[in-house]
Amino acid sequence: MSWNEPGGDKNKDPWSGRNEENGPPDLDEAIRTLQDKLGGLFGGNKGGDGNDDNSPPSLKGLGFLAIGAIVLWGASGFYVVDEGNRGVELRFGKYVATTQPGLNWKFPAPIESVEIVNISQVRSLEVGYRSGAGSKGSVAQEALMLTKDENIVDVRLAVQYQVNDAKKYLFNILNQTATLKQVTESVERGVVGGNTMDFALTEGRSQIVADIKTEIQQVMDSYDSGIIITSVNLQDAQPPDQVQSAFEDAIKAREDKQRLINEAEAYANDIVPKARGAAARLMQESEGYKSRIISAAEGDVSRFTQILKEYKKAPEVTRQRIYLDTLESVMSGTDTVMVDVKGGNNLLYLPLDKLGAKSKAVNKLVNTYPSDPTVNQPFNAINTPRPSSRGRTERGR
Amino acid sequence: MSQNKILVGLGVVFTLVMMSIFTVSETEKAIKFKFGEIVASDYKPGLHFKIPFINNVKKFDSRILTLDSTPERFLTAEKKNVIVDSFVKWRIGDVTTFYTSVAGDTYQANVRLDQIIKDAFRSEFSKRDIKQLVSTDRSVVREALIANTASAAAKLGIDIVDVQVKRIDLPKEVSQSVYSRMEAERARVAREFRSQGSEAAERVRADADKQKEIILANAYRDAEVTKGQGDATASEIYAKAYGQDVEFYAFYRSMAAYKETFANSANLMVTEPDSDFFKYFKQMK
Repeated sequence: MSWNEPGGDKNKDPWSGRNEENGPPDLDEAIRTLQDKLGGLFGGNKGGDGNDDNSPPSLKGLGFLAIGAIVLWGASGFYVVDEGNRGVELRFGKYVATTQPGLNWKFPAPIESVEIVNISQVRSLEVGYRSGAGSKGSVAQEALMLTKDENIVDVRLAVQYQVNDAKKYLFNILNQTATLKQVTESVERGVVGGNTMDFALTEGRSQIVADIKTEIQQVMDSYDSGIIITSVNLQDAQPPDQVQSAFEDAIKAREDKQRLINEAEAYANDIVPKARGAAARLMQESEGYKSRIISAAEGDVSRFTQILKEYKKAPEVTRQRIYLDTLESVMSGTDTVMVDVKGGNNLLYLPLDKLGAKSKAVNKLVNTYPSDPTVNQPFNAINTPRPSSRGRTERGR
Repeated sequence: MSQNKILVGLGVVFTLVMMSIFTVSETEKAIKFKFGEIVASDYKPGLHFKIPFINNVKKFDSRILTLDSTPERFLTAEKKNVIVDSFVKWRIGDVTTFYTSVAGDTYQANVRLDQIIKDAFRSEFSKRDIKQLVSTDRSVVREALIANTASAAAKLGIDIVDVQVKRIDLPKEVSQSVYSRMEAERARVAREFRSQGSEAAERVRADADKQKEIILANAYRDAEVTKGQGDATASEIYAKAYGQDVEFYAFYRSMAAYKETFANSANLMVTEPDSDFFKYFKQMK
């Protein structure tokens, strides 16, 4: 039974000069152990550095040569792990340790080998599109997917991930990148397919991205992939090219709706204040009319009352005087033609030229100050605008 | 001489040692044969021994492998064709069975697995309509597929890790009609938006017109009320004053009316001297 056959005791392992949990082995100690263990193999004595005079000198040279080779061989076990990387040491293909950044030593080939994995690098994966020069952008096969309501959307995702367990990353999956891509496509379609198109295209974006991220992580964890998804970015979620124009029209229609409403509001903002203005004018005018009519009445009455007072003191004389004054003022300003009809004078001369010359002023009854209600304008003469007809014509445009 | 012998001896020993050891990596499984008969398969990663010339060793990948099958048409419950692209994640479970059933050939394993999976797909898809497949039943389908294929896969020495439906696509002709439907749907939405716009606009305009009518009508009413008040007050004032002497008022007002009537010098009057109008005139003569 070999020392490390299945079920065998691990402690029998001649190579485990150190524990797995220990860090990088101490170099001197390792070399010493190595020399001790290999010493017997070449048949040399304990301190077999050629001190034994009995041995042939050629064998002694061979010994030196062997030692040199062993030192060189041992030195080839040094390796450097850069910051952000981890080294995974394998002894005869069996995992022994994950080493930290710095100078490390392993048993040289072919006993141990090391694989270095970058765990800080953020790797990315594009699904549904290809960025970079010369790319066509969308990859229809990956980007188009069905939604819950049997519509088709065009989704482009970028997934960023890191390796968080170098051992798992190396040993568990063949072709991790392809696997991640397959999983992403599958999960993406699952999540998008669980939602309606409108939701996926509008308010659901962040929700969908979060769901996709969680689910990818779950699936990758179930594969023990050693990969952690750092972010999932929805590059684009669009209706497919074939229906793009219809979608744009719908967006335009939304704008049109707003435009129509705005126009109507502009109309309202135009006519309502104007109507208020007109109303205010009507009110002011009526107030003015009221004041005017009352003041005029008071004036007229005052004048009449004063005359009446004097008239009552001497009615005959006053009456006579007023009458004559009136006649005088009337007659003096009028071209009066007296015709004695009874006298039978046939010759009648009318100054028709004068009549013609002054005809323009004839009947020009100036009545700017109507002082009696009977002379007033009719009430319905207020010039009320008819707004409704104007409103209708504007709307018809 | 002895030196050469030692060297040859060392060489022979080294070769024999090299021939009698083999390593199994973390990513591998191995089978040890003895003249073609399997003697051991349960190897952990590490260094192992065999007898040169008698034993030989075959190694297989122990990692999760992928069967990325070609997209295929399946019929759904509502007799619609869908194109399904799926993948299966599997790993070698029992390496002995794997070796005997598919000769340890991954390609052959994939072909056999593909047949098993496709069959399972067909039966699951024929039970469901597209909507269920795309949205609601995805994980149910997945679990059913894994459960239904596990035993058949085990016969190939395969552990199914996961079965995932990557794509469920409609065939091209159907896609085209989906696009048409989407377009019609958008056109409907667009029209709805525009008519909603017209509706709202009409409401706003009508409301504005109404407000305008109301404002003007109220203003007219209030204005007439005010004017009426003015007229009434004026009438009252007149009546109170003129009522003091109605006869004098008639005379006084007539006089005022004469003045008004003849205020303009352009008036031409043709009258009779005997008329009542000139009663005083004659008396003056």
